[in-house]
Amino acid sequence: MRRCVLLTAFALLAVVRALTGQTQVTAIRDLAFGAVIRGVQTTVAPSDPIKSGRLYVRYKIGGQVQVAFTLPTRLNRVAGGGNMPITFASTDAIAQGTAGSSQPVTFDPNNPITFTLQTSADFYINLGGRVTPAANQATGAYQGTVVLTCTFF
Amino acid sequence: MRSTTRVSAALAAIFSLTAAAAQAQSASISATATVYQAMTVTGARTLDFGNVFPGVSKAIAVTAATSGQFSLTGQSSANVNLTFTLPTNLTSGANNLPIGTWTGCTNPTNSTAGCTAFTPSASATASAFSGTGALWVWVGGTVTPAANQAAGTYTGTVQLTAAYF
Repeated sequence: MRRCVLLTAFALLAVVRALTGQTQVTAIRDLAFGAVIRGVQTTVAPSDPIKSGRLYVRYKIGGQVQVAFTLPTRLNRVAGGGNMPITFASTDAIAQGTAGSSQPVTFDPNNPITFTLQTSADFYINLGGRVTPAANQATGAYQGTVVLTCTFF
Repeated sequence: MRSTTRVSAALAAIFSLTAAAAQAQSASISATATVYQAMTVTGARTLDFGNVFPGVSKAIAVTAATSGQFSLTGQSSANVNLTFTLPTNLTSGANNLPIGTWTGCTNPTNSTAGCTAFTPSASATASAFSGTGALWVWVGGTVTPAANQAAGTYTGTVQLTAAYF
């Protein structure tokens, strides 16, 4: 009887470890505005196949994933000496499952959102945005960091 | 009793593990941009074929004094794509004078000596501004008047579009 209880306990431990190993969050592509002109606001749509940011998330069908972005408010000049505003609209993120029947879901990257994975165990998230260089913005390269945090249930 | 305690402790550990089912993971990407100064594109000189005669084609080379010319200013040393909207005819009222066989040349200095040849078209031609943010573009072509081409002054528009890349 004692042995049966201990064996059962070890089996349960093994199952818990396997579930947590299924999760994945991977960066695929930077959000790249490219060349922007002083004084001219530049937008990248989340659907842009080249310039939009892109990340990959994997869990399991039937699972829930809360996605939350930590978004910069400014890009900093790489060589120092300036920064530039960056904003994200309520339609600047798209989630798309990998199953053929999956429909893209547009969402607000400024707020967390929870997805229930019904047809795909994995999905991509694309991110757009807009930068607003000042008329006298210092020329050069600018950079900021976008963090995607996924909580798996 | 000791055995019972060990089992209870094991079961307590299992339940505490299964209760912590939520797991967080993160990944990061960069958001990048390169700020350039605004670009200007100026039509500096008309492509002028001068007098042409019915049935006699006439070509103007990019090196000719009457070739078309554009001057551009922009971000020093930046890459730029050049695309053209080109007429197929010059017109004089209802009369058309075919034009084609376009030729082009770019140079970061205001001289065709040593310029880089290209074929103007709607497809992008890559070029670059000089270290001082200058670029010149010359355009030539050929008109082909018909044997019964009507006399008159024929005109058309050559449009250059430049974009950083």
